[in-house]
Amino acid sequence: MGLLTRYTETAPCTVEVVHKFEELSAHVRLDNGATINPGDSVLVHGTPVMAPWGEAVSEQRMATITRASLIERLWTRLTGDMEFMELCEFSFSDETRATGTGGVAA
Amino acid sequence: MNVQTQPASHTADATTVEEGLAIQQAQSKFDSKAATDLAMQNTLLTPRFYTTDFEELDAIDVSPVRADWDKLMEQMRSDPNKGHFRKTEDWDAVDWENMDPELKAEALDFLISSCTAEFSGCVLYKEMKRRGTNEDIKELFSYMSRDEARHAGFINDALREAGVAVNLGFLTREKKYTYFRPKFIYYATYLSEKIGYARYITIYRHLEANPEHRFHPIFKWFREWCNDEFSHGEAFALLMRTDPKITQSFANRLWIRFFLTAVYSTMWVRDHARPKFHEALGVDIDWYDMEVFRKTSTIARQVFPIELDIDNPRFRSGCERMNRAAIAMDAAKARGGVGGLLGRIAAGANAAFAFANLYTIPVKKNDVPENVRLEPAF
Repeated sequence: MGLLTRYTETAPCTVEVVHKFEELSAHVRLDNGATINPGDSVLVHGTPVMAPWGEAVSEQRMATITRASLIERLWTRLTGDMEFMELCEFSFSDETRATGTGGVAA
Repeated sequence: MNVQTQPASHTADATTVEEGLAIQQAQSKFDSKAATDLAMQNTLLTPRFYTTDFEELDAIDVSPVRADWDKLMEQMRSDPNKGHFRKTEDWDAVDWENMDPELKAEALDFLISSCTAEFSGCVLYKEMKRRGTNEDIKELFSYMSRDEARHAGFINDALREAGVAVNLGFLTREKKYTYFRPKFIYYATYLSEKIGYARYITIYRHLEANPEHRFHPIFKWFREWCNDEFSHGEAFALLMRTDPKITQSFANRLWIRFFLTAVYSTMWVRDHARPKFHEALGVDIDWYDMEVFRKTSTIARQVFPIELDIDNPRFRSGCERMNRAAIAMDAAKARGGVGGLLGRIAAGANAAFAFANLYTIPVKKNDVPENVRLEPAF
């Protein structure tokens, strides 16, 4: 890990999506045991994974992990807390006037 | 241990994934066709991704609260709400087509935001379970993840009915992982779960007395739903009680005060931006928010050594000032240009002043009880 330089690595991953009445969930698991650290980014290759209604799918994909530089990692550790409001859940989005999109354009 | 004596006939009764799948098979054929036939609005789910200090999380020793912990785990293991999240004849049809467009936008905002919240919780809890090695912690997070995924599925179904399909495109977008210290996760998620309970139960009780205002059947499910939120909050309360420093040290008291102020004032601003939703429920937003704060403050005495003085007149005026600043900020953003920039600076300063004013209201001290555990009582 460089002080200022990022580097990337690829890792096989499993994407699991459950799109059912009793469960809606989606997870990405890195299969080679790589762990994600503060400031790292993960990009799963390929087209979006979506299970049809009522189904669960599990797909093997490749992922690119962009490792944060040492400075970035420290910075994320120091400042990540400032985004703590992201951890709090309110029943509504932060739009001052609701557009019915949950505040996110699809 | 769950023992299924009769074959389950509804997915909400399924004990295993395989069983759920088998039940789903026939229904799914019809459902997926119906979904593609409809012109569905696409909504992108945007869960948050974060890391934490997993070593610190693993080092938690629940021994000081072992008896309460085991009891709570047993309750979560028995999964009392397993059969609750299903559509019964109580699920009335909703006339989305003819709904007032503003109410519809606010109601959809409620469903989508709630679905994203449950979904994010599921992602976070599952990640904690996966990265951890401490068996107690892993067990807790597996149950919480299960509940959140179930709630998300239930809301997702209500969204589909409203013609909104979730889009999981985020899975193949680049995701940056930020970082939170474990104690921040405890404070924030504890508060979210307990406020969630207080919000849901207050609406549920209000609609029990005023059923004519129930414009969507999902509110009928709020009682059992919020019991899940309540137990999740209990688990975080126990986690915080494993080490007195987490809540009692001088710096951490200031953090707790900060979290309470930020969360209460944000809730006030967000709720006041949804007038049609609350009007349809027949709920006065000022009353509702104060009621939710009151319940949350009462519950949080189980673990927080301080409590905001919500009856101090400065509290209400601070929240109102914060709301005015938020509205002014939005107007300034819409205006743009130099005037807009100046407006944003002024609104930002106003919001900061309102926050400082709220933060400096003297707090009430609270001696946390010997016995941590609470049962939902409202």
